[in-house]
Amino acid sequence: MAAKPRRLNLTQKYQLMTRGLDWETTYQSMDDVFPYDKYEGIKIKDWDKWQDPFRLTMDAYWKYQAEKERKLYAILDGFAQNNSQLNISDARYMNAVKIWMQGVTPLEYAAFRGFAMLGRGFRGAGARVACQFQSIDEMRHYQTQMHAFSHYNKYFNGFRQFARIRDRAWYLSIPKSYFEDAVTAGPFELITAISFSFEYVLTNLLFMPFVSGAAYNGDMATTTFGFSAQSDESRHMTLGLEVIKFMLEQDEGNLPIVQQWLDKWFWRGYRLLGLVGTMMDYMLPKKVMSWRQAWEIYWEESGMALFNDLARYGLRPPKYHEVATKEKYRITHEFWCTIYQFSHATALYTWIPTEEELDWFSAEYGELFDTVYRPRYEYWAELDRKGERFFQKRLPVVCNVCQIPIFHTMPDDPLMNCCLVSEYKGTKHQMCSQGCKDIFDHEPEKYCQAYIPPQQIYQGNCGGATLEAYKEWLHIKDEETGEYYGSEDHIMWEGWKAQSGKPADAPA
Amino acid sequence: MSYQATIEPLGETIEVEDDQKLLDAALRAGVWLPYACNHGVCGTCKVDVLEGEVEHNEASSFALMDIERDEGKTLACCATLVSDIVIEADIEEEEDAQHLPVGDYTGKVVRIEDLTPTVKGIWLEVPGDGIEFQAGQYLNLNVPGVEIPRAFSLANPPSEKNVIELNVRHVPDGQATTYLHEQLKMGDELGFTAPLGRFFVRKSAPEPMIFLAGGSGLSSPKSMILDLLENGEERAITLVYGARNQAELYYFDLFSKLARQHANFHYLTALSEPADTDDWDGPRCFVHELAEEHFGKRFEGHKAYLCGPPPMIDSSITSLMRGRLFEEHIFMENFFTAADSAKPARRSALFKKF
Ligand SMILES: Cc1cc2nc3c(=O)[nH]c(=O)nc-3n(C[C@H](O)[C@H](O)[C@H](O)COP(=O)(O)OP(=O)(O)OC[C@H]3O[C@@H](n4cnc5c(N)ncnc54)[C@H](O)[C@@H]3O)c2cc1C
Ligand code: FES
Ligand SMILES: [Fe+2]
Ligand SMILES: [Fe+2]
Repeated sequence: MAAKPRRLNLTQKYQLMTRGLDWETTYQSMDDVFPYDKYEGIKIKDWDKWQDPFRLTMDAYWKYQAEKERKLYAILDGFAQNNSQLNISDARYMNAVKIWMQGVTPLEYAAFRGFAMLGRGFRGAGARVACQFQSIDEMRHYQTQMHAFSHYNKYFNGFRQFARIRDRAWYLSIPKSYFEDAVTAGPFELITAISFSFEYVLTNLLFMPFVSGAAYNGDMATTTFGFSAQSDESRHMTLGLEVIKFMLEQDEGNLPIVQQWLDKWFWRGYRLLGLVGTMMDYMLPKKVMSWRQAWEIYWEESGMALFNDLARYGLRPPKYHEVATKEKYRITHEFWCTIYQFSHATALYTWIPTEEELDWFSAEYGELFDTVYRPRYEYWAELDRKGERFFQKRLPVVCNVCQIPIFHTMPDDPLMNCCLVSEYKGTKHQMCSQGCKDIFDHEPEKYCQAYIPPQQIYQGNCGGATLEAYKEWLHIKDEETGEYYGSEDHIMWEGWKAQSGKPADAPA
Repeated sequence: MSYQATIEPLGETIEVEDDQKLLDAALRAGVWLPYACNHGVCGTCKVDVLEGEVEHNEASSFALMDIERDEGKTLACCATLVSDIVIEADIEEEEDAQHLPVGDYTGKVVRIEDLTPTVKGIWLEVPGDGIEFQAGQYLNLNVPGVEIPRAFSLANPPSEKNVIELNVRHVPDGQATTYLHEQLKMGDELGFTAPLGRFFVRKSAPEPMIFLAGGSGLSSPKSMILDLLENGEERAITLVYGARNQAELYYFDLFSKLARQHANFHYLTALSEPADTDDWDGPRCFVHELAEEHFGKRFEGHKAYLCGPPPMIDSSITSLMRGRLFEEHIFMENFFTAADSAKPARRSALFKKF
């Protein structure tokens, strides 16, 4: 009798179903089949040395992902049927979700496209397979988030016409430009930017506060898709680590290139996260953790531990990380002060924090908050009481690299605005920081082509050269913008709470 | 109360305390399992439970779904044991590991020698079949009056089964080493558990070998090198050894003689802080610096074995990696003491072994 065939173990099965299906091309040269994986200067001597960061085969992948979907949609259905939007802490919280839907969810879609490119672009089969899985994951993240938010769209402003907002809203060029910068680089830079810098180094600062913030504020829909996405994250993070190690181990000439990318994408990622930090500090009525504290735990401790380990390869911590650390006391306040003044031109509401919240900021941020930001809020609150809620009349100047309004201050002087200028081909380009300026100066030909919404708007390319004309082109209605107190969201929330007999501001 | 977990495909068995997480116990026992978040949300640490039962605790229902629970999977970072278990993890099997059975032994002290002012050689006689081990492994020694056994590497080659040698450095204020230095006498009996650890020569790998040792970290390399040479090893072997001063430099004559007898064996030493009275015109630096100098800062194409106190291991890894020798080619035994494990670990998930 024939011997019973031995069951394949994980490694063998993976080997057969991935690399085992790959071949060296003969009708066409490998360089013609994979035309993009060399021009960035990254040298790979032996793709076979790529260590597969996880051994997942397609059959197992579909099975597990399908199960995750079933589970997630069962929870989302229950959420909708039980009117669970009533359980959130306060309607102000919804603005955090709006920011996520407007700014972050499109990044999931962008990531899907980026990884699809990578899944075709690398000549190593192991790397291609990992990227293909991730590409499908990202599409799933995008879809499940949209579905989760669609329930909120029935009740709250700011969720409708997501696609148009994504394309046209001036402030969303902040997250959008981050990904567009990455996908228009080469494949190795793209994967370094997304898998390593963003998903590995900074993801804890993004997902952790957002998901636990959502849970804490009673938003089970967001919490659930958050956990569902997090369960894919291990693969994404290990891919990020593997890619860095692979590049560094393959050829020593790769070190300076990788270092430059880490410098660049740390800074770009940090700037982008300023928005998340602001959401965390200001838009969560029930606070989880301040940005300052999150920065200390996830960057100063975990991030630096990672860079201590990376030092063994000869890498140093990213440039200007110490500037980011100095800014931890102010970045979210500077950001909120800015959004506060411009929310009439966004699909978001803003407000002055409550007395209790101001005290929490004082405790978390100390003297700087009390001397610099609290007086601003008191001044604006006073104007508001007089019926003169303050809004800027014009859109701001934004940084040519991170596309954030130029509101940041000098590293050692929180009262001095920082605006740096580079001249390229006879045009002046403004940047928010030395970090962004270095990025511009390294590739001026790329960034001089950046699409900068406020400039386009005032050139009349977005429906007309006035804010009013632009808002019409954006299809954004006054009711969904501006001040929270007295807004449609606020009035509806008060009404619900009155019906349920609970006072509006009481925690759920 | 504690349970045992056997980890396949390694076949390694570890102790897990009642309320201890499986991952934590494995990492502390020197068995690396894949992990990332360490709190049950990412799923990196998923393993198959082949036998026995675990509690999943706070594992997220997405990172560990119901169908996976039914299939007998668990998250090592969250799992606690409710019985002895056998798990299978996604880790590599080691071709050169011998998986020798661990046993409890009693040895009689037959020789004690001051190797240096701080390191004593202690020889224990094990009657009968003696003990089988792989060169580089260690034992857990029960020291009278000391609750938890202490780890010491075997310094004799495995061919000497009936008399084993330990090189014990006196740790100031150290309970066990103080006893061994001050009270132990000829004829005493000491119980121990052996052989332990995964520090052994990857004999099937073709590369020439570098041994980096500091202080009492000479014990394992001594066993490994004697074993290799006894068995007619022909690949190049370089031992780089560092001590503080001349009095701390031990087995100098033994290794100098071996270097004269074997053309493929090279022996290099350095003193980091020679005493004024030392008659030393050799290199004055640390082990890793001597290695860098000797190899011209290029270590590519070798296998490296590191043994000694944590700071020495740490600087050596950095030198090797800067010299382009990476994790898969580096093996080590870190001579941790209770003081080292009390320090907060500030490491990332970048490396599996260090
Ligand atoms: C695998 C392995 C192999 C080894 N091989 C060898 C070898 O071949 N030769 C050799 O000399 N050594 C070796 N060591 C190191 C050896 O095990 C230690 O030096 C020994 O355990 C010290 O025991 P002790 O009882 O003397 O000291 P301990 O009493 O354990 O104290 C050690 C140090 O820690 C401090 N300390 C104790 N408890 C704490 C606490 N809770 N918090 C903070 N500090 C504390 C003490 O003050 C002292 O400085 C090896 C270690 C390992 C892990
Ligand atoms: S390490 Fe992330 S789930 Fe265990
Ligand atoms: Fe995603
Ligand atoms: Fe900028």
